[in-house]
Amino acid sequence: MNQNKNGTKDNKKYILMSICSVLVFLFIWELVTDVLGIFKSTMLPSPVKVFGTFIDKFTNTKPDGATIQVHTLASLKVALSGYLIGVGIGVPLGIAMAWFRKVDCFVTPLFDLLRPVPGIAWLPVLIVFFGIGLLSKAMVIFLSAFIACVINSYSGIKNTRMVHLWVGQTFGATRSQLLFKVAIPTALPMIFTGLKVALGASWNALIAAELLASTKGLGFMINQARGIYRPDIILVGMIAVGITGAILGYLIELLQKLVMKRGWRQ
Amino acid sequence: MKKKIDVTRIIMGILAVVLFLCLWTLSTREGTTLGKLMPGPGEVFKRLLKMTHTNIGSLTIFGHMLNSLRRVLVGFFLASVCGILLGLGMGWNRKCEAILRPLFELIRPIPPLAWISLAIVWFGLGEGGKYFIIFVSGFANVTINVYSGAKAVDPEVIGAARMLGCPKHRIFTSVVLPSSIPYIFTGLQIAISSSWAAVVAAEMVRSTNGIGWMITAGQNINDMEQILAGIIVIGVVGFLLTTIMRGIEARLCAWSRV
Amino acid sequence: MGNEYKVQVNHLTKKFGNLLVLDDISFHVKENEFLCIVGPTGCGKTTFLNSLSKLYDITAGEILINGMPVDLKKHNVAYIFQEYSNMPWLTIRQNVEFGLRIKHRPEAEIREQTDYFLDMVGLTKFQDYYPDQLSASMLQRAAIARAFAVKPELLLMDEPYGQLDIELRFRLEDELIRLWREVGTTVIFITHNIEEAVYLSNRILVLTNKPTKIKEEIHNDLPRPRNIADPAFVELRRKVTDLIKWW
Repeated sequence: MNQNKNGTKDNKKYILMSICSVLVFLFIWELVTDVLGIFKSTMLPSPVKVFGTFIDKFTNTKPDGATIQVHTLASLKVALSGYLIGVGIGVPLGIAMAWFRKVDCFVTPLFDLLRPVPGIAWLPVLIVFFGIGLLSKAMVIFLSAFIACVINSYSGIKNTRMVHLWVGQTFGATRSQLLFKVAIPTALPMIFTGLKVALGASWNALIAAELLASTKGLGFMINQARGIYRPDIILVGMIAVGITGAILGYLIELLQKLVMKRGWRQ
Repeated sequence: MKKKIDVTRIIMGILAVVLFLCLWTLSTREGTTLGKLMPGPGEVFKRLLKMTHTNIGSLTIFGHMLNSLRRVLVGFFLASVCGILLGLGMGWNRKCEAILRPLFELIRPIPPLAWISLAIVWFGLGEGGKYFIIFVSGFANVTINVYSGAKAVDPEVIGAARMLGCPKHRIFTSVVLPSSIPYIFTGLQIAISSSWAAVVAAEMVRSTNGIGWMITAGQNINDMEQILAGIIVIGVVGFLLTTIMRGIEARLCAWSRV
Repeated sequence: MGNEYKVQVNHLTKKFGNLLVLDDISFHVKENEFLCIVGPTGCGKTTFLNSLSKLYDITAGEILINGMPVDLKKHNVAYIFQEYSNMPWLTIRQNVEFGLRIKHRPEAEIREQTDYFLDMVGLTKFQDYYPDQLSASMLQRAAIARAFAVKPELLLMDEPYGQLDIELRFRLEDELIRLWREVGTTVIFITHNIEEAVYLSNRILVLTNKPTKIKEEIHNDLPRPRNIADPAFVELRRKVTDLIKWW
């Protein structure tokens, strides 16, 4: 009891320290920019200024031609179309590669050729084929998500315990029953890990792709701001990218909680 | 029995790759629509050989490769050192955790490549900005893995060490550190491949040499052979980097393998 | 012949590569018999059972159930493994239902059988728990309930109680005898524990070291319930022990 009380008291102390830490960080940032002027606002804008620009960007379309909501939606459209196709093809393929020996022998070597090339490196090839529209960028994101999904689903299925398959087999389960009732449930946690890794990779690739080839989107906004020395907009863009990514990650987490009951938690 | 399985595997694998190359050759042969856009594998390979002794831009392919590798290794080294220190610090000391974790969590959701523009503003077009991007790409991966590793140390083992009168710094060096090593390597493993992806992206955005520059330069002059040759080099180097890391890991922590 | 024997094993041979593990084994099991198989550690008992149940391909010989080659999709077989085999993502109840669902039994039967056998092994209260919340003995009982729930014509058991402490083992052995009598199934039970074999079986097969053969067959007609302190029991146990002598 006593120990418990100490514990919560301790926790309060640490939470307080965390809050102070963030505040001190913001304070120092403000101090070296606006107050002391050590960093010029064309190098590092103050937090106050970044916050102001952030609010302003909701209504101001200058200098990049659109508000932040429009850019975010444009980025989301590209990212999600690539991501969903990547998941839709990558997860089943990873499962098939791990489950069917023939697919494993035949497809895995080809996949291993593709795997070490980061998705973004394909952008020039895709641009030559499809121009700088949505398709090229969506394909880059597709590739990034696809690779992560295949790897994780594959190793998830390969984790299936022999004895669980044997249980099914002795009860006379068909191959497809073994897959759906034993192997896929085993792989589910890894599949979700794959979805999360793929999301991070997609979002990262999207920003790079938009820096290189786009006329809209958060990456484009960031790139435009660099051209005219407006680091405050760059930071606003980075914050928007971070927040959107965190929300998407949270949604996947939510989906995982919904699908997987407590039994999966080891 | 085992050997036999491996043989079919290898044969099937070779068959798949050969089939893929045939398909590529066939679909890009002269007169096809794809053939106008894409060179065949033979041409790409010939170009790759030629690049070893003629310059693309200012350097041969080896020069570009070495530049990219140098950037990766510098950025990766800095990221590893800082990531391991920060991860261990946050995992071992609660004050350290309370102070640094929220700052780390604020920065973590930002995709590493989103720092490119800021890096250019801060560091200009020199090497500093590239090191920075690679550092950012590797740093969070290393930190988060080391941190969870240091947190996962069995508290009973620490309790036992404490009971035996082990001083605090010794508990750290002889209990926490060794049991975090597998996690450290997982972090380094992920970091090396994301660093490699980051260097390619950073060079594609702004650079005058390096493998990433080579493929965007190819795009600008519509030279598909150069792009594809670059992609092959990127793939091979990426593969070698992860294989080497895995080799080091297998050597150093054979005991932790399940 | 026909249905005179439940299980017929003829010239069962299994090789891993060049290593001969099972060497031309033949024996028959009668309907409703409780057959125990004992042998020295590492003599290939598990391989034996896995070959018998077709989990491993056999090198030569044939295995018949009711005079027909074993087909796990047709024959109603259940297997209780030495390791814990409950699916960690299913509740205890769902684990017990597992075999019935694989066999597409009607929903009413699934409910009825599951209720009944959960009760029989004393897990009704824990039916909504997940395996990681239960103790080792409860997990093994869940596996036993899962096996009996399909009312198997042949039940294979591979040292199911090997990892349990002695008191629990006694209790579960009694429980097993009860279930076996009530359901009326044919059991092949592998163990390295001689006392367990003498306590449970109608008949004991003693295996040799690798390559495994049948060394001796012993009929066990001791009256049930058996008492491990009974002189006849002790005598039989000594007889089997002498046959094995792996020390």
